[in-house]
Formats: sequence, C-alpha cells, structure tokens
Amino acid sequence: MPILTLEHVTKRFGRQMVLNDLNLIVPEGRIFGFLGENGAGKTTTMKLILGLLRADQGVIKVNGEPVTFGQTTTNRLIGYLPDVPAFYDYMRPQEYLQLCGEISGLSKDCLNQRSTELLTHVGLANTHQKIGGFSRGMKQRLGIAQALLNEPRLLICDEPTSALDPVGRLEILDILQQLKGQTTVFFSTHVLADVERICDEIAILHAGKIALTGQIDDLKAKHATHHLRVKFATTAELNQFISLGWSDFQTDLVSFSVTLTAPDILKLEMTVMQALATQQLTPISLERTAPTLEQLFMEVVQ
Amino acid sequence: MKIGIDYLPFLIPLIILQVGLTAAALIHILRHKTYKHGNRLLWVIASFINIIGPVLYFVFGKEDD
Amino acid sequence: MKAYIALIKKEARENWRTYKTPLLVAVFILFGVISPLFAKLMPEILKQLATTGVKITLPPPTALDSWAQFFKNMRQMGLLVLVILFSGTVATEFTRGTLINLLTKGLPRRTVILAKFTMTTVLWTSAYALSVAITTAYTAYYWTMPTYHHLILTFSGPWLFGLLLISLLILGGICFTTTIGSLLTCGGAVILMTLINIVPTWQASNPLTLITQNLALLTGKLAVGDFWPAALVAVGAIVISLGSSIIIFDRRAI
Repeated sequence: MPILTLEHVTKRFGRQMVLNDLNLIVPEGRIFGFLGENGAGKTTTMKLILGLLRADQGVIKVNGEPVTFGQTTTNRLIGYLPDVPAFYDYMRPQEYLQLCGEISGLSKDCLNQRSTELLTHVGLANTHQKIGGFSRGMKQRLGIAQALLNEPRLLICDEPTSALDPVGRLEILDILQQLKGQTTVFFSTHVLADVERICDEIAILHAGKIALTGQIDDLKAKHATHHLRVKFATTAELNQFISLGWSDFQTDLVSFSVTLTAPDILKLEMTVMQALATQQLTPISLERTAPTLEQLFMEVVQ
Repeated sequence: MKIGIDYLPFLIPLIILQVGLTAAALIHILRHKTYKHGNRLLWVIASFINIIGPVLYFVFGKEDD
Repeated sequence: MKAYIALIKKEARENWRTYKTPLLVAVFILFGVISPLFAKLMPEILKQLATTGVKITLPPPTALDSWAQFFKNMRQMGLLVLVILFSGTVATEFTRGTLINLLTKGLPRRTVILAKFTMTTVLWTSAYALSVAITTAYTAYYWTMPTYHHLILTFSGPWLFGLLLISLLILGGICFTTTIGSLLTCGGAVILMTLINIVPTWQASNPLTLITQNLALLTGKLAVGDFWPAALVAVGAIVISLGSSIIIFDRRAI
C-alpha cells in the first residue's frame, strides 16, 4: 500500500486556483522529492496532507486512512518539519522534545532514550542554551529531531535546506539520507542539486497539477535528450565546423561552442570525431553533457 | 514623624515590591537594545509609573529572548 | 489526558520564564498591602487637601473602609493587570506559528484552549487568594472585624469576573489571532456590560454586579438572591466563550 496518496485534490484561495485536480502516489520507503517553482503550491499541498488546511475537493490518504481537517488522527503517522520551524524560545531543546513526546503519547523511558538519541544524531546533545539563541541551522536540526520523535512512517519536510548555508545544507541532507529504509521522506524543494543528491523518486508540481512523476533515472532516460558540446578557440574554426551541416544544433558565439543533439549519443560522437579529423579541426574540448534534472524541470515548467 | 511607626508594616513590603518591580524593569530595559514596541526612553519613563508601567514593559516592551 | 497535562506543564513553564507569574504575584501582593493602607491614610489625605481652614471631622476609618479599598483596587487595577498580562497567551501562538509542530503531532486543538484556560485560572486564583489573605491580615491587625455576611460569595465576585475576562481573552485570541484582538474583545465586553447597566431592570443579571456590589453584599444590604443571577450569567458567558473558541479553532486553517 502506498504511504501517501492524493486523489483529485483541489484547493482554491479566493479566486486563485492553487491545486487543480492533483493526483500523486508516494510509495513507502522512498526519498521522494517534491519539486516546483516558488508559489507552485508545495506548502499548500503539505498543509492539506497535515490537515492544517481543508481541501475543496478530493481525498488524501495516509497509509490508506483518509485525512480529516481539524482533528487529524493520521498525523500520528507523520513527522513534519515546516519551512521555518517555530519553537518556544524560552525552552531548551531537551525540554522541547519532552513536550513533543508527551503530546505524542510516548512512554517516559522511550521518550528519554529517543530524545537523547535524536539530539545526538542532529548534533545538539551538548547544547543547553535556550532555543531563542539558536541559529537557523540549529533550529532546522532541532526541527528534524522533533519530527522524528514519534518514529513516523512518513516524514514531510517543507524546503528543509533553502534557508541554510552550504554547510548547514549538507548536514540536513546527510541526516535525511540516513533515514532511507526506515522512514519515507517526502520533501519539497526548488534546489535541484539536493534532489539529485538524495532522492529516488520525484514529482514536479506545475500549474496546480503533477506535471511529471517517477523514478529519477527512468525520467531522465525517457525525457531528456542527449547533447554533445564542441568548443573551439576561434570563430573561424567554429564557422567551419558549423558549415558541415548538422541537423540539430545550437551555437554559442560567446564561448565559440556548439551543442549538438541526437538520440544516439555514441553514433553522434563518432561522426563528430571523424568530421573533425577530416577537416583537420582541433577543438578545445569535446564533452558529453548528461541530461540534467534541470533540463527536465525546465522542459516541464516551460 | 509620628505616623512613621504606625505605617511601617505597610511601608516595608510596599517599598520592597514597588522598588523591586521598577528596578527589575529598568535593569532589563537598560540591558537590551531592542524592544518589541516602543523605545528605551519611553520604557525608562514608563517603568516609574506605579505598578502598571513595569507590567506594561514586560508584556509589550520586552523582546522574547 | 497525557497531552493535557503536558500542555499544562508547558503553560506553567512559559508563564514563569516570561515573567508573567512573578509579575502577577508581585502585583497582587502589592494590592493586598495597598488597600488597607489607603483606608488608613484617607483621613490624613483629606486633611491635607482641606487646608483652607475648614475643619473636617471624619469618623475614623473602619475595617469596612479597608475592604472598600480592596474591591475598588481589584475593579480598577487588578483585573486590568490580569487582562494585560495574559492578553498575548493565545495570540503569540498564532503570530509565531508555535502550535504547528504540536498540532501535527496529533494534539487535539481543544486541549490547547482548555490547558490555557486551566493554567491562567490557577494563576489568577492563587494571586487573588493571596491578595485577599494579605488584606485580611492587615485589616484584622488594625481594626476589629465585624461579622460579615456571605463572605465566600462576596469574594467570589471579582474572582468569577476574572474568569470571565480570561475566557474572553481566549475567545478574542482565537477569533483575531492578535493581542490587540484579545484586548479589544475584553474591552468591548466590559463596555457592553456598562451600557447594559444603564437599564435598571437588567442590572441584577449583569456580571458587572460581581465587582460593583460586593460591599452591599458584605454588609447585608443586598440579599444573596440579588447576586446569583449575575453569577449565573457570568458562568454561562464563560462556558459560551470557551465553547465557541473550541468550535472556531477547530474550523480554522493554520
């Protein structure tokens, strides 16, 4: 059974249609990247899953149980890390996890053990200052600890890395990656590098619908075409090369390079090298540009 | 001061509390540069307004740490 | 139940660390001391004011003057301090977004409201009782205490009115999600009650009676029966405020 399904979900804010008949399935055990431009409705989708907002139409199910607005019992299966997690400034991290655990109904022993474990895991075990004095990265790490406290089946993270510096980003990504196999992670982001680093599966949200979803490797193989970039030292050489008559190409006059596209990259590469040899042309570089997630994303979004 | 002795049981706790409240507010105001609302001068003056001044400062002036 | 107790502990810690508990206690000790002092000083003050040679002879102050000062201080300042101190208790949760983590852990929303009401009530009850005890001690020390009528009922008046204000603060906070919203809801309700008081036939069932007629009840000028309608209306209003807070909060998107 998939851990999370959204069926025909629609949400309007006033006249603005944010989600329009959205369908999505998240299988258990994956690290699932939820992509979309800023304002595409990623946070709205997450809030609907958490029962913090009421869907206008459609059904959301967590582990087969429908999500209800207001009194949301499915939340016991979910850990949530908001984009900017808000804590009580006057508490210490240990005290905060204590509160969260008691609310989740964890037993005292279990809670003590779990919170010590998690604080060590996120590197806050020796932090005894009040949360009010925390940096953003520390708050994000405490956010992950509180989200994982009740050993959720599904961890939902809203842009967990976007407000952080490079070091903080890597720390968070590492923590998330280590969860693979234990918990399904569903996280939204617009940083494609993060997705490529840790996700197995993605969905791209665009115009209120899921524009594309599947395993990253499959998607890349299916959607993106292959490119070969040839770079020359002078315009003359570049023009000579272009005049050979290629079928699908784009020139970049600033860097004296041309990017060729063909379905069979190996054959194309062979042809290009033969042509270069017969023409006595020596390029500065000849490189295969692998299909990137970015190209995939741009293709969908444009 | 013939009334002095008679009023002493009142005056001692009264002075301790009033001075304590104003002092606590003043120390907090002077130790912090930013406030939720208002500015330093306003709150310094306010902390001398009987008991309501210090209360107002701690509710509306003091920033969350 | 476990979540309710957890939240009560959280509220207790919050009120202590944000200085609300210490402030409330300090202020209400102060009121306890000031009331008998003012009663005792009043003749002196009036003497100072009347310097034009007019000889004013005043009866010496009595225990009742002390209590009159006490109820006046509660009415004018005590309840105001209570309202100001706890005006942000609901609103800050919304403006800072601190409830999101807790609600997404399966915390029932009504528990938030009930725990806040419980904790604020406990603090208010303690502070008020402390104030009453201090004024009683001073009054007994300086004056002879006559036998009073309906002691418990009289002193329950301002206390119950305080509970009404607390429930209105919560309702205002839930409806408007701002501190100002809480304050205006309370202020609006008090103004409304003051307006209602203009109609003589409605006075008896106006909760305002709980804080204005205490002396009359204490001296036996007012019968118990005249006090009950106002008390019942207040209890009803508290229940309605809390009930509608729960209903509104359950329907609110956050």
